[in-house]
Amino acid sequence: MAAFTQQAAELTPAGLNWLADFNQRGRERWKVTPFPTRKTENWKYTSLQALADGSYLRWPQAKGAELSEQVDAIEGLDACALIFVNGVFAESLSCNNLPESVEVVRFSQANESQQQAILAKLGSIADSEKHLFAALNDSWLQEGVYLHVAKNAHVKQPIYIHHITTPEAENFAVNQRLLVHVESSAEATVVEHFSSTEEAQNCFTNAITELQLDANARLTHYHLHLEEENTLHIGGVHVNLERDATLNSFMMSLGANLQRTDVVVNHRGEGAHCGLNGIYLPNHKHTVDFHTCIEHAVPNCTTHEVFRGIIGDHGKAVFNGRIHIHQDAQKTVADLSNKNLLTSHNAEVDTKPELEIYADDVKCSHGATIAQLEEKALYYLQSRGVDRERAEIMLSFGFINELLEQLAHVPVRDYLTPLVSELFEKKFDRARASA
Amino acid sequence: MLSIKDLRANVGDKEILKGLSLEVKAGEVHAIMGPNGSGKSTLGHVLAGRENYEATAGSVDFDGKNLLDMDIEERSREGLFLAFQYPVEIPGVSNMEFLKTAVDAVREHRGMEPIDSVQFMKLAREKCKAVNLDDQFLKRGVNEGFSGGEKKRNELMQMMLLEPKLCIMDETDSGLDIDALQVVAEGVNAMRSEDRAIVLVTHYQRLLDYIKPDFVHVLSGGKIIKSGDRSLALELEEKGYGWITKEVA
Amino acid sequence: MSQGEQAQIDNLLKNDYEAGFYTSVESDTLPPGLDEDVIRFISGKKGEPEWMLDWRLEAYRGWQEMTEPEWAHVRYPKVDFQALSYFSAPKSMADKPKSLDEVDPELLRTYEKLGIPLHEQEMLAGVAVDAVFDSVSVATTFRSKLKEAGVIFCSISEAVHEYPELVKKYLGSVVPRKDNFYAALNSAVFSDGSFVYIPKGVRCPMELSTYFRINEAKTGQFERTLIIADEGSYVSYLEGCTAPMRDENQLHAAVVELVALGDAQIKYSTVQNWYPGDKEGKGGIYNFVTKRGVCHDNAKISWTQVETGSAVTWKYPSVVLRGDNSVGEFYSVALTNNFQQADTGTKMIHMGKNTRSTIISKGISAGQSQNAYRGLVRMSQRAEGARNYTQCDSLLIGDRCGAHTFPYIESRNPSAVVEHEATTSKVSDDQLYLCQQRGLDAEKAVSLIVNGFCKEVFKELPMEFAVEAGKLLEVSLEGSVG
Repeated sequence: MAAFTQQAAELTPAGLNWLADFNQRGRERWKVTPFPTRKTENWKYTSLQALADGSYLRWPQAKGAELSEQVDAIEGLDACALIFVNGVFAESLSCNNLPESVEVVRFSQANESQQQAILAKLGSIADSEKHLFAALNDSWLQEGVYLHVAKNAHVKQPIYIHHITTPEAENFAVNQRLLVHVESSAEATVVEHFSSTEEAQNCFTNAITELQLDANARLTHYHLHLEEENTLHIGGVHVNLERDATLNSFMMSLGANLQRTDVVVNHRGEGAHCGLNGIYLPNHKHTVDFHTCIEHAVPNCTTHEVFRGIIGDHGKAVFNGRIHIHQDAQKTVADLSNKNLLTSHNAEVDTKPELEIYADDVKCSHGATIAQLEEKALYYLQSRGVDRERAEIMLSFGFINELLEQLAHVPVRDYLTPLVSELFEKKFDRARASA
Repeated sequence: MLSIKDLRANVGDKEILKGLSLEVKAGEVHAIMGPNGSGKSTLGHVLAGRENYEATAGSVDFDGKNLLDMDIEERSREGLFLAFQYPVEIPGVSNMEFLKTAVDAVREHRGMEPIDSVQFMKLAREKCKAVNLDDQFLKRGVNEGFSGGEKKRNELMQMMLLEPKLCIMDETDSGLDIDALQVVAEGVNAMRSEDRAIVLVTHYQRLLDYIKPDFVHVLSGGKIIKSGDRSLALELEEKGYGWITKEVA
Repeated sequence: MSQGEQAQIDNLLKNDYEAGFYTSVESDTLPPGLDEDVIRFISGKKGEPEWMLDWRLEAYRGWQEMTEPEWAHVRYPKVDFQALSYFSAPKSMADKPKSLDEVDPELLRTYEKLGIPLHEQEMLAGVAVDAVFDSVSVATTFRSKLKEAGVIFCSISEAVHEYPELVKKYLGSVVPRKDNFYAALNSAVFSDGSFVYIPKGVRCPMELSTYFRINEAKTGQFERTLIIADEGSYVSYLEGCTAPMRDENQLHAAVVELVALGDAQIKYSTVQNWYPGDKEGKGGIYNFVTKRGVCHDNAKISWTQVETGSAVTWKYPSVVLRGDNSVGEFYSVALTNNFQQADTGTKMIHMGKNTRSTIISKGISAGQSQNAYRGLVRMSQRAEGARNYTQCDSLLIGDRCGAHTFPYIESRNPSAVVEHEATTSKVSDDQLYLCQQRGLDAEKAVSLIVNGFCKEVFKELPMEFAVEAGKLLEVSLEGSVG
């Protein structure tokens, strides 16, 4: 592991001058932070062996534009779209139809005042002292997206950022960064979509997202991990919520060799609200790991968090949901629910909902379950003539669909629903075939 | 029994009662009516001694003692009972346990022995019956999962058990259907006696069809602006509060 | 930790030793420090057979390689294990207080509140009077009754001599010598403790209690308990009592092992009320305990605990559900006040088919205390049809305390069901107001609400224990409501 740390530090970006100091600070931090082992509490259930085993420490070639058309597109999104292929911007696939109140700029294209604005926020939300891979992202940073929504602006079009990896990125490292600043009373929707074109490919993606919501700002955020089998993806979403700001975030992981997401939400101003939902569906030999941490540092904020997962085959899911209520965060209302269905004898789920509370006038609860489909419901469906396998698929889908139905953005919902449904159908076919 | 003189009181920083006076003698039933926000509920809580309800001027004499000097529980033990408009739920603490503890606290205050458990059980069942509450309620947590009407009847049942000298009923009638209202009214009427006074705080004249008050007062802007007998309530029902506030102004 | 604090702790530990040293100049007290010679000395003093000494030495060698765990949610100055004395002979009558007049009045006040009879007060306070003999004679009567039923209830030192085969077979079979830092230390230097064996099919005719323990009283610091319930037997064991015991040892590292063979049942209840330190958080006992039981087919182990004492508690009574259809239960009330810290919970390891476990944990934090629940539920791959239900509630009294929940849930079996729920609430002003309006004073009201909060656990305690536990909470919460 020490070798990996050393080699990763030696991989330097063909960077931007104005980011050089930032890269350097990241590199220093990466080098001094011990590489996690299974004894590191935050990595207790997830091994990084695959990362150390692979030789991912090369940059992909600039072959981004070679994709002749958009793949895995979300239909009807009508978005400002930024498409990256293997970490490289694909101009021909992208479009920008945004009003003036919104700025979207790639780091490599940023003018001087934008550079200043980026440097002022970059790394101030994602704490690279606590998050090792954020430090690595800092050190590798050469391209990213900066989104700025001006005060009171209400952007109807979603801002869509799609990262595609192709077989050309096999055994490469892809470093990605998104920095969003929504000014006070502004509203926006951001869709982050990760996909890959072919099953066999493998690469290591390290993606960090930083979201700054000023007073009374509202952001709807989607974070979709829809990559194929062999990919490794470690990343984080880090959020600062100022007074009365509202974040509604939805995360989905279909599972891959390793998908690890650290979500950190800092309630920094009174009256802020965080709605955080997520779905994970690992099977085959996938590992999906969500570590969420909600920091309530001030009074009168609310958090509502729901994660659900179905784990099949040799899949493994890790969920760690921490809610931390600081001493002065009175009148906090926070709840967390994590429900899991385990559908195979070789699958595994490890969940740890945590409450750490230092204020007394709060209402907090969490619940976690690992269970099967309800026998009563299966029986009911069977009694109406549905066969057992089909009934199981229907109920499994329903268990996930409860969260999909809540998605506010219709095109995203319409894109994901058949995707999930298809996944269960495949399972159904397999069950049929083996029966 | 209760003599309120020129009482002023704040809730938090805001003055709600602005020089209220009221005389209540043993054996009497008083009804206090008034528009929303006139200070009706505040009066009940100031008398009960709720935190943040602070008397700033005037006096309240309760059976020759200065009521405002006493703690909440002392007032209760001296015989003041407030039936809450919104009784709080206390999960895990059974009604029975709660009531026995309260009854014993009052008895101790009066220099009596704690009540025998079996005897108390019998008594509690009897009172439940009187307010048409299944005695299963005794085993449940205090007000836990009770419907609105059940909570109100539970308050009345407690009042019967504690046998207070002065009963203040804060909108005990609101939200009740006519059957429940009659049960409550019967209960209150049964409590009427020569050495007990009852103050009904209500928004609706309807209650007074079933409990006949000796006096009716109109509370508005933190003062009693008009007093009369039952006919005043009927007049209010007919004309609303507007004419009085105008007349007084 | 500042140097000053370190000095203070050192001093505290040193004083402890000095007091012990002076009181028994001519007796067998060892100077502080721990090495193999010390272990040989302890073993020799007890006249232990060779195998027992080897067992201890092996544990000691393991311990030397281990480091003190730091993952618990507690902060305390490091214990200097070389500054402790690992063997001191029991105090002679001459050193004990001559009468209750010499005992700390604060302690007596507490006894009074708990309603403890005078002669028991004397025993608890360690007064050197004949009154203690009452309970000894009671104990003797008990002993003959137990003998009739074939139950063995003696000190573990006695068992090493009398029942070596049982001890050899089971000691360390549930908590291995190198299980964890404190268990290894205990295995090396354990002073004494209880041994219980219930023969096949026997229902132990009475509740066994450390309160009436026959063996030597001075066993507190490194206590070792081993309970074996043979096939189809039943035993209920009570540990501790509600009254605070006088105790000079700052560090306690006990080990309790329970073995429930096929169809057997063990019910183990604890009330722990050791000195928690003063209102400023000075002093108090560090309680680092390892308690674990193993259930064979159809067996059941039930842990019930009410914990109000100690400055720092680190304790996770656990059940390994090895046999099919076995049942594990954990009912706990942990109350912390002032500057106390508790990191406590349980582990339920489901290995057998159709195993069941229930966890009910109630944490109450007041003052500036920190109270953490830490639990593990593991469904292993062959735990077909296993079930767990966990409910974990915290109650906060005052805005300077903390309540934390760290449940670890691991499942590898698709037919296993795990449910975990946790809530945090406070005693609300509205609840207090309602109670006060009905004539209860604030402290009584809080105690009523707290008792209601703990009801599910208290009902698992033996009757008279439950009543005492209620009173105990009341006393422990004194002064926590403004």
